[in-house]
Amino acid sequence: MKVLIIEDEDDLRNSIVEYLQQTGIVCESAHNFKTAIEKITMYEYDSIIVDIGLPDGDGLKVIEELKQDKAETGVIIVSAKNSLEDKLKGLNIGADDYITKPFHLSELSARIKSVIRRRSFQGKNDIILNELRIIPDEMVVFVNEQHVSLTRTEHQLLLYFISNPNKVLTKESIAEHLWGDHADMADSFDFIYSHIKNLRKKIIEKGGQDYVKSVYGVGYKLNV
Amino acid sequence: MKLLNKTNEYYIAVAIALLFIGSFVTANRVLYLINKEINERLMLEKGEIESQIANQPNIASAGFIIGDRIEVTPVYEIEMLTVQLKDTVRYVPYEEHLVPYRQLLYEKKINGQYYKIRILKRLPEVKDMFWGLAITIALITIDVIFSFYFLNRWFSRRIWSPFYTALDVLKNFDLRKGGKVTFAKSPVEEFNAMNHELTKLTDKVSRDYQNLKEFTENMSHETQTPLAIIHSKLDLMLQSEDLTEAQTERIRSSLDAVNRLSRMNKSLIMLTRIDNEQYADTKLVNFGGLIKKQLGYLDVFSTNKELVVNENVDEQRIFQLNEQLAEILISNLLSNAIKYNKKGGLLNVEMYENYFIVSNSGDEMKIPHEQIFERFKKGTQKDSVGLGLAIAKKICDHFNMTIKYSYENQLHTFVVEFPYEVIVG
Repeated sequence: MKVLIIEDEDDLRNSIVEYLQQTGIVCESAHNFKTAIEKITMYEYDSIIVDIGLPDGDGLKVIEELKQDKAETGVIIVSAKNSLEDKLKGLNIGADDYITKPFHLSELSARIKSVIRRRSFQGKNDIILNELRIIPDEMVVFVNEQHVSLTRTEHQLLLYFISNPNKVLTKESIAEHLWGDHADMADSFDFIYSHIKNLRKKIIEKGGQDYVKSVYGVGYKLNV
Repeated sequence: MKLLNKTNEYYIAVAIALLFIGSFVTANRVLYLINKEINERLMLEKGEIESQIANQPNIASAGFIIGDRIEVTPVYEIEMLTVQLKDTVRYVPYEEHLVPYRQLLYEKKINGQYYKIRILKRLPEVKDMFWGLAITIALITIDVIFSFYFLNRWFSRRIWSPFYTALDVLKNFDLRKGGKVTFAKSPVEEFNAMNHELTKLTDKVSRDYQNLKEFTENMSHETQTPLAIIHSKLDLMLQSEDLTEAQTERIRSSLDAVNRLSRMNKSLIMLTRIDNEQYADTKLVNFGGLIKKQLGYLDVFSTNKELVVNENVDEQRIFQLNEQLAEILISNLLSNAIKYNKKGGLLNVEMYENYFIVSNSGDEMKIPHEQIFERFKKGTQKDSVGLGLAIAKKICDHFNMTIKYSYENQLHTFVVEFPYEVIVG
């Protein structure tokens, strides 16, 4: 997986690159419009992450440029504005997703992997982790080739963990991933705990390993 | 009370006081003059009678002259040394009642003979005269007051007309609609000065309001990037190996604070954007349908809290609204009602005619009811940003809907009433 990060804020760009590298994504970066255009014309990427508020040019132009000859590349817009119009405009010119600042790095990682999966060929779609095999589009999971029936939430949880292997995921980030704007509704994180407990139980029942560990009082981690 | 009526009120009060005092004083004064005149006449007659008696001593028995009674009685010696002047009454047989008289009684030696002389002068009916005078004066005064009142109204209206015109201009002053005012030129210098100052003032208010709005939006947007940096660094820090439990907890609470700040920013941007008319486009919105949709999204949370949901939603209610704002309004009220509900509590959602009603179980809040829609007013909930209801109120104001809060029977209730202009079906 190779991704281009187009972000003018050095500190933010470095964090993103560092985190994504650790989750198994090969990253390149561009700090302005000019470099971004150069890189997208010269190299192939599975996905690009573009801040639409670039100082020397509109990030949307980068997307338009990219879509002219490399339409299959996934695009995620990063914006400081939570504006519906901007979002619709971005999606209209071919972006796959829109994420507003500030965001959890784990969320960005999950979104990138989801976009790349959706853009890839059907055969490549399966995610394999030792005895686990997940077919994301169909919401089907196998443990040791035995079918495990998961609820929608459990399925989303599993994908989120697999997108961020060996990373501490806070309860807040999990809640936000599952319920978006309504995340603060899950006032007691017992709610998340019970979903995770069920997920672990279902995998272990079919002879799978117990990958998900809880981390102090902060959150959870998928150990691989 | 209007300014014109207020000044007239003072005029009338003063005039009424003057009317009472004036008519009383005038009537008294007139009576005093009449009285004085009668006394003078009596003294005059006294001299005349004395000279007549001196010339014709027989006249003493002559009886009385018409109008005045004069009694001259010869006496042997003088008993009274003074001239007595007093008021008295006499019975008048042909009028069949007592009539008031002024009596001059004295004794005097004329040509060697002693006489007792009594002159009685009929007095006018003082009481009748007094009232007659008072009423005449009162009528004249009332006449003057009325003319003055109407004239004053007429003048004032003419003179104050630029003031009322300016007032109308100010009434139509709306910050959200540009906030520009223009006043007509007036021939009165004071009004021109006032209008000039008002123009300056409203221009300044508009400018400040614009600046504040821009500042709020820019500030909120600009802070998102630094927040994103802080957030990403904390995210990375959290991934470090061998963190102690205390360190992890510190990172977690910092992340929490960053998230809260960012949510607050988003809400502030939302409020500003509504003010900036950025949600001006409206369309036909099936409000009942939207409620059902939001209830569906939130179902997982109400189930988790084991809430008893009573739903009575008419799905045929169509209004002319901005769909995004309508969704935010519903979502804010419903999530509020779930978030601050008790475990196993009630959640009632109703939509009928032009009413949307949400109520939920819960303890009474410590803040006064009228402050519940104010920004950053929140009860005991620490994690709330305190802008959800402010946004709901802003949306309602935007569409001229009313939103009311009440607390009764352990239930928090929000009632949204749609105005007739947005009702389509």
